Amino acid sequence: MLQKKICMVGAFATGKTSLVAQFVRSIFSEKYQTTVGVKIDKKTINIQDREINLILWDLHGEDEFQKVRMSYLRGSSGYLLVVDGTRKNTLNKALDLQTRVEEAIGKVPFILVLNKSDIMDEWEINDQEIKQLGQNHWTVIKTSAKTGLGVEEVFQTLANKILEG
Amino acid sequence: MVVIMGDNSRNQLTQKSLNLPISQTENTTANQELDELRSLLLGIEPRQLNQLYERLNNPQIHAEDIGNLLPEAVQLQTQKDRQLVEAITTTVEEAIKFSIQKDEKTLSEVIFPILAPATRKAINAALEQMIQSLNQTLEHSLSPQSWRWRLEAKRTGKTFAEVVMLRTLVYRVEQLFLIHKQTGLLLQHLVAPQVSAQDGDIVSAMLTAIEDFVKDSFAVGKGDGLQSLQFGELTIWVEESPSALLAGVIRGIPPQELRLAFQNAIAKIQLNLAQQLDDFQGETAPFAAAQPYLEDCLGVQYQKSASKKYTYAWSLFGIVAIALGIWAVFAIQEQRKWHKYLAQLNSEPGIVVIKAERKSNGKYLVVGMRDPLAKNPQELIKQASLPPEKVIGQWQSYISLDPQLTPKRATEYLIPPKTTSLEIDDNGTLKASGVAPQKWIVRSRKLWRFIPGINKYQDRNLTPSELTQLNTYKQQIEGNNLFFLAGKTKFAPGESKKLMDLALVIKKIVQVSQDLNQNITIQIVGHTNTIGTEKSNKILSQARAQKILSYFQKQGFKKSIFTAVGVGSSQRLLTRSKKENRISNRRVSFRVFLKDKLK
Repeated sequence: MLQKKICMVGAFATGKTSLVAQFVRSIFSEKYQTTVGVKIDKKTINIQDREINLILWDLHGEDEFQKVRMSYLRGSSGYLLVVDGTRKNTLNKALDLQTRVEEAIGKVPFILVLNKSDIMDEWEINDQEIKQLGQNHWTVIKTSAKTGLGVEEVFQTLANKILEG
Repeated sequence: MVVIMGDNSRNQLTQKSLNLPISQTENTTANQELDELRSLLLGIEPRQLNQLYERLNNPQIHAEDIGNLLPEAVQLQTQKDRQLVEAITTTVEEAIKFSIQKDEKTLSEVIFPILAPATRKAINAALEQMIQSLNQTLEHSLSPQSWRWRLEAKRTGKTFAEVVMLRTLVYRVEQLFLIHKQTGLLLQHLVAPQVSAQDGDIVSAMLTAIEDFVKDSFAVGKGDGLQSLQFGELTIWVEESPSALLAGVIRGIPPQELRLAFQNAIAKIQLNLAQQLDDFQGETAPFAAAQPYLEDCLGVQYQKSASKKYTYAWSLFGIVAIALGIWAVFAIQEQRKWHKYLAQLNSEPGIVVIKAERKSNGKYLVVGMRDPLAKNPQELIKQASLPPEKVIGQWQSYISLDPQLTPKRATEYLIPPKTTSLEIDDNGTLKASGVAPQKWIVRSRKLWRFIPGINKYQDRNLTPSELTQLNTYKQQIEGNNLFFLAGKTKFAPGESKKLMDLALVIKKIVQVSQDLNQNITIQIVGHTNTIGTEKSNKILSQARAQKILSYFQKQGFKKSIFTAVGVGSSQRLLTRSKKENRISNRRVSFRVFLKDKLK
């Protein structure tokens, strides 16, 4: 069995835990519970006729009081950089985190996840900014942990990227 | 000037000095110069140098050197660590395999002397373990302590097995995680039997996260790592190698030797799978090779019983032995009874046993033939004291010619009267003797031929019972005297009644004589005493006889049966007195004559 470690990183309350819950257990809760430290989950998916065990490290969201521990990212095959579309500052935080993660573990596949697409009318990030992100050859995917939109796709895409090396 | 030459340059120089095809004189000069130069440069005598080259180039010398060094080198390396052992294991295994394929006898002869003691030891150990295990099971089932544990289990809601385990367990390694150090991904996960385990991938990741957290949070040394975690009865021990972590979840208090076992296992895994660990990209299949090392760490230890007497086990063995003994006694007794029954059946006339066996359900089956006149096998079962329900009899009827049964059969067929006895001699002659009714005698003379086993019938000594009766009647009639009044044909008082009784007897004797096919004649003899003349007495006696005859005729008897004669006083009865003589001779007497009709 092939195993891959994937980390969820991003600012606090961007929906990292909800994305994992939706992906692994197909559930969503409106209730917000902040992640302390790290939560680990697992899901087996089938990519290119191979079964892959994704070990999902859901790291606590970064804010002004606590920084993401880069040691948790050690050995990651890829990561999801999660942004809350309704809070522009979470995008800036994601950009900052991306730099730090790359410094810590080197270049590994990642996807910028623009979450909460179910409430697009409240978004602070416009299409122009999203386009700019794409110009950096980053993969950007809009998701909704609430409706499940793009959730499966984001993990599948990352797994594909990891396998392609 | 200092010239530094590498080894290769020196060799080339030497080769050149040895092989160049220059004229002999030039050669010698050049060689001398080169020798001088060498001496100056290396400070070694050319002779010594040549010896050194010769030694290096001669493979024979290499082998000798290695041969001298090898034992010591092996010894030193073995003392140092187990790398050499592990390195040569495969080679030795292959060598043994080859030796067996080549000639299995060689290794057999070598192993044979240790084989028997090893087998004995293994059997002893297995027996000891079995008895210990049995003793423990019984102790946990029957001892007062076990009942306390049962109460505790009920009180705490735990299962009895859990309580026993907790009370007797010293330690048990429940799970082992082999984790890739860099990624925290699980490489191998071993779970002890009957232990419910969580998802190993998540647990291993969490362990890595905890270690990372501790390392990040506290100022720990670079080489330091998480060694131990304790939670209630559970301890997690972590041992690490440069590329992997071995985490063991242990219930109870583990001994330090276990830590050494962990260290040993992770060291071996690192040694054998170093390349795979370094190249790890998420594929866990190659790490199946680590399983044997991990299995060595799945230890368990229970509190040893203070007593090695195995009381419970021996008590059970004792009970089983007694039970077996009792069973054996009963089984032997029953077997004896069975054999006795069979012997009785075989000796019984008219019974032939064809098959006798004990069935798997514990019942006995006997199949055979039985003459209906033979003894009932059920009675024999009772005689042998066997429980009747345990014996199944399958009997076919047949006629036995056993001489012991023939009299019985004859009796059955002929139904002789009690006064008749039947005997059969060796020639098969049925001899009837005693007294029997004429009808039975006649019937038997016809029936005997139908009795199997009877060749001849003889009833020479058999008297018809009617003949006896006939004689009795005859005696009764002849014993009668009817008395008359003096000088008259009138009966003395009471004689009429006697005549009537006599008539009844005569009726019977006539009937019996007819049955016996005999002619009967009754002579009525009239008598007088001596008073009076001979002539008158004759007439009177005749008249008296005639009177009786008349009476009988009136009673319906045939006249031809009787004859009446008067003998006067010629056949007098003599008594003590004259008076009595006179009375007793005024009489009529009777004589009965019987004659076979055939004669």
